[in-house]
Amino acid sequence: MSLVAILTGCSSAERETAEQAATRFYGAVHDRQGEQACSLLAPSAAEGLSTGGQRCANAILDLELPGGQPVDTAVWGDEAQVRLSRDTVFLHRFPQGWLVRGAGCTAQGELPYRCEVTT
Amino acid sequence: MKNFIKNNALSLFFLAAFLLSLVGQSFAGNADANQQRLAEGGAPLSWVSYVTSSDFTADVAENWQSEYLQFLLFILATVWLVQRGSTESKKPGEEGGESDAEQKTGRYAESDSPAWAAAAGWRRSLYGNSLGLVMGAVFVLSWLGQSVSGQASYNTQQLAQLEDPVSWGEYVVSADFWNRTLQNWQSEFLAVLSMVVLSVYLRQRGSTQSKPVGAAHDTTGVEG
Repeated sequence: MSLVAILTGCSSAERETAEQAATRFYGAVHDRQGEQACSLLAPSAAEGLSTGGQRCANAILDLELPGGQPVDTAVWGDEAQVRLSRDTVFLHRFPQGWLVRGAGCTAQGELPYRCEVTT
Repeated sequence: MKNFIKNNALSLFFLAAFLLSLVGQSFAGNADANQQRLAEGGAPLSWVSYVTSSDFTADVAENWQSEYLQFLLFILATVWLVQRGSTESKKPGEEGGESDAEQKTGRYAESDSPAWAAAAGWRRSLYGNSLGLVMGAVFVLSWLGQSVSGQASYNTQQLAQLEDPVSWGEYVVSADFWNRTLQNWQSEFLAVLSMVVLSVYLRQRGSTQSKPVGAAHDTTGVEG
């Protein structure tokens, strides 16, 4: 394992588990399983979708997140970014595993990504 | 045992101060990092996870590299540069590496001199520069460690803020790396400057870092 990998824990296994979490999330969205998709969101991201009397399970499906095939994954510490063919997703590692904290994200140059789902 | 402590009190005092400070830093740093993680919607880190994290490593390494750079430059600069009146300086006119007789090397080595001081060739040369070389090596390794752990720490923060991570090459020319580096360097250089200049005019009775209280201000290279 390289020094960088030791310091960051950024092994290929780490990237794989983060990528699998992103794939499970978009799989649930694609299959219209709103409850399951929301269970894969970070708590504050799920709360953010439950505003104005709308349930997270409905709101997440209304967003029509594009998703796509995983292209590249970066893991640093307890944070991950999975680039998909039509979308970018950010995840955070919680005690129960990787959960999505940003989805439907679009690059804004030097500024942070603008995300449809965010914490 | 009592004799060992008495004979090594200075080293033991600083070893204890170092370890207590490092442990204190780890707890304070963990609390600070957890506040930030909770504010960003993340989960808190245990103490063990924090002390093995890139955040903690970067914070430690950036201070280490600047301290070792400070001593490295001080060791090398005092070979060639003098400050009249300072305890930290040789007398004007003594600049340079000095003769074998003055340095007790080669045939001028004494019976209790280190073996490599008497040796010829690369061993004498290596031993004659060993303090600077070790300080320099620790500086370079610490700075490298800062860059690697700093990149990891920076990228973790970048991802937490929904921004792209950067490569190591991008990180070592980044504002974050040089801000962390220079803010440590400037304080170290100020501390050395203060010591060199203040030791001309001020005294600390009994300290090796001060001239005797009654010594003249222009007395150079004398320690009390």
